[in-house]
Amino acid sequence: MTKTADIKPYLRLERYPTIWCAGCGNGQVVGAFLRAISTLDWDPKKVVVVSGIGCSSRASGYLNFNTMHTTHGRPLPFATGIKLANPELHVVVMAGDGDTTAIGGNHFIHAARRNIGITMIVFNNGTYGMTGGQCSPMTGHACKATTAPYGNLDTPFDICKLAEAAGATFVGRGITYAPVKLESLITEALKHKGFSVIDAVTQCPTYYGRLNKMGSPADMLTWQKEHVISLEKAASLPKHVIQDKIVTGVFVKDLRPEYTTLYRRLHEQCGEDDCHD
Amino acid sequence: MNILIGGAAGQGMDTIAYLLGKALVREGYGVLTAKDYMSRVRGGHNFTKLRVESKTPFAPAEEIDILIALNEETYEIHRESVVTAGRIIFDSDMFALPEVEKRGVPVPLQTLAKEAGGKIMSNTVAVGAALSLMNTSTLQADELLREMFDEKTAAQNSAALAAGLKNVERDSCFSMPPATNTGKHLFLAGNEALGLSALASGCNFLSAYPMTPATGIMAYMAGKQDQLDIVVEQAEDEISAINMVLGASYAGARVMTCTSGGGFSLMVEGLSLAGMTETPVVIIIGMRPGPATGLPTRTEQGDLDFALHAGHGEFPRAILCATVLEDAFYRLNKAFDLAEKYQIPVLFLSDQNFGDTARSIEPYDFTNLRYNRHLVNVENLERPYLRYRYSRDGISPRALPGQFPGETVLSDSDEHDENGNIIENAVTRKNMMDKRLQKMVPLADEMDEPIIYGHDSGNILLLGWGSTYGALREAVDILQDEGLKVTLLQFTDIWPLPVAAVNKLLPQAKVSFCVENNATGQFAGLLRRETGLSTDHKVLKYDGRPFLAKEIIREVKKHV
Repeated sequence: MTKTADIKPYLRLERYPTIWCAGCGNGQVVGAFLRAISTLDWDPKKVVVVSGIGCSSRASGYLNFNTMHTTHGRPLPFATGIKLANPELHVVVMAGDGDTTAIGGNHFIHAARRNIGITMIVFNNGTYGMTGGQCSPMTGHACKATTAPYGNLDTPFDICKLAEAAGATFVGRGITYAPVKLESLITEALKHKGFSVIDAVTQCPTYYGRLNKMGSPADMLTWQKEHVISLEKAASLPKHVIQDKIVTGVFVKDLRPEYTTLYRRLHEQCGEDDCHD
Repeated sequence: MNILIGGAAGQGMDTIAYLLGKALVREGYGVLTAKDYMSRVRGGHNFTKLRVESKTPFAPAEEIDILIALNEETYEIHRESVVTAGRIIFDSDMFALPEVEKRGVPVPLQTLAKEAGGKIMSNTVAVGAALSLMNTSTLQADELLREMFDEKTAAQNSAALAAGLKNVERDSCFSMPPATNTGKHLFLAGNEALGLSALASGCNFLSAYPMTPATGIMAYMAGKQDQLDIVVEQAEDEISAINMVLGASYAGARVMTCTSGGGFSLMVEGLSLAGMTETPVVIIIGMRPGPATGLPTRTEQGDLDFALHAGHGEFPRAILCATVLEDAFYRLNKAFDLAEKYQIPVLFLSDQNFGDTARSIEPYDFTNLRYNRHLVNVENLERPYLRYRYSRDGISPRALPGQFPGETVLSDSDEHDENGNIIENAVTRKNMMDKRLQKMVPLADEMDEPIIYGHDSGNILLLGWGSTYGALREAVDILQDEGLKVTLLQFTDIWPLPVAAVNKLLPQAKVSFCVENNATGQFAGLLRRETGLSTDHKVLKYDGRPFLAKEIIREVKKHV
């Protein structure tokens, strides 16, 4: 049992209440993030939280760090600029699954390829909440959305596999049903030197839940509980058994030179051996 | 003296132009080279024009004195432009000229190159032959070769140069204008000057996606990473490029991105973000003909309206442009200063004509550069720190994240209050819009009136902007020599439009022309919107090629 951390200093409480619906999982992800960051010896004024557009991206507005609420899909390039300009800053990106895998999909794979020292927390609720429950690249096949009223034809991405294939050096998935595990995953991700991705599976009772008849917020969390399986367990099971499960754990933990370190090395090398010919 | 070097892509015309041009600059001549190339890596027909005078010319000329034909096609295309007393150096290993052609100077480029050490040095042989026709020694060219290559390669090239020189008899050479330049001169292309200016202005962060004709700026700056602590990052697309530079700007870097119209299309969303968040950024748009892919390697001034109106919503911006090497270096420096002083996006319009034209000029005076980051410091920081604090001139205190203990910097693409917190209330929205737009008032005072050239109030008035300056200037010289009173107003600062000079001179002029490298007269439209004034005539060219002085003169004479 971890001691409950005092996360109030990290919040702009004067901005409360949040815009999030009752039963929304965004607050649970933010809570896990704040408890995680409170365990680190970081100066909050050296932390920058960059977010996109959507329900979850409004998180930055409640956090007492340097914050930048960018445009839809663009938090990663913006954050990349910040990190490259000042590698001393701790840069965290918060964005939804639409932000990350649809409009910002290209930026996502390239941030992973660069292995830049940014922690990306994807609030993955499988839908576009703020704009009214449209389909996302993370909406399950045959699931309903206001733009897919007869069921989604597509197959969703696996964010963790996508991140791994693109070169992210820390990749993990957690669920809001298990906030303590999610917190420790985020802690590991924040400590990691390189591009770290957390696929935080969360619930949207107002749209996704209602459109797909998933019941109350509690029912949605129960669904998570019933469908979760650890990476270790999943490894020994056949593919069709884990097909509709949420596999959680650390998928990738690799060492590869971080991008701003490579830049620094380039400058140091050039300074030393005068690579000018 | 005008030289045209032509051949297929990949035959080394650039090397010839560079070596010949730079050698002549060091001899004390004023030199200009202008590139005309196709959007392909091999084959096709590319050429570079090289003009040599006592004083550095401003534009290339139409007629040719020496044609260097690396293939037969070059001869076919350009033979009629070669003057009667001209000379045509051609590769006699490759082809022969028709018997009636009396201007030919056969040089077995490949045979001579092979003898010197390798076929690849054919173009060095051609340089030697051209120097011989210009009655110029290979001294400077030899020196340049030693600077460019290792000892062995330099020696082989030197032999190739000598072989070319020996092959052409000196009795057939041209009389050259006197070489009067003394002291060191720069010989650089527009894109290099812009890269140099950015670095000299303290720009330490560039993110861009390659796009002709702006890529040269990025390549130039990337090449300086060994000497300077700068980031040059090739983004995955222009959307990313603009957002990266905005992020870096927010974090404290002095930033720039460069692209062409197509890439700028992708940056427009980010431009609006810069407007809302009041994040300084300089964007160079190296214009080329559109729409869509258009003519990738050619020139046009077709994106002025686009630059003026790009971005959703209303926000302040400045637009400056590249007219001529002597000015553009300082002009881009001004762009950086304005961007940070007013916390706005500054668009800097260049084009292929400016970017790819190289000229010899006197060294820049770095003491003329401005450098002020316009950031708050601890002493004058009002507490609590409010990133978007209201002020008389609309400019709020800009601090960087992590700069001051105990302070955070909040920024939001949604409408926000003074602190940077997202809001939706009507009063704050209106106040914030007023605050941002208020900056246009002092900004307008920063705009320079256009360059005035020729008669100070002639009855013939020419208006231009950007890279047409060279051709227009030459047109003015020729028309004035013929006894006409001609005034040129060449705009360097475009938005907010400086109107004093044009308000005074346009109504006085007997006949006026707006000269633009586009099809619809975009600057003329802007002028009319801002002043209610119109020129009598528009001279428009939109075939992808830059103006020649002769073409402008032809149009002027139709109405004078």
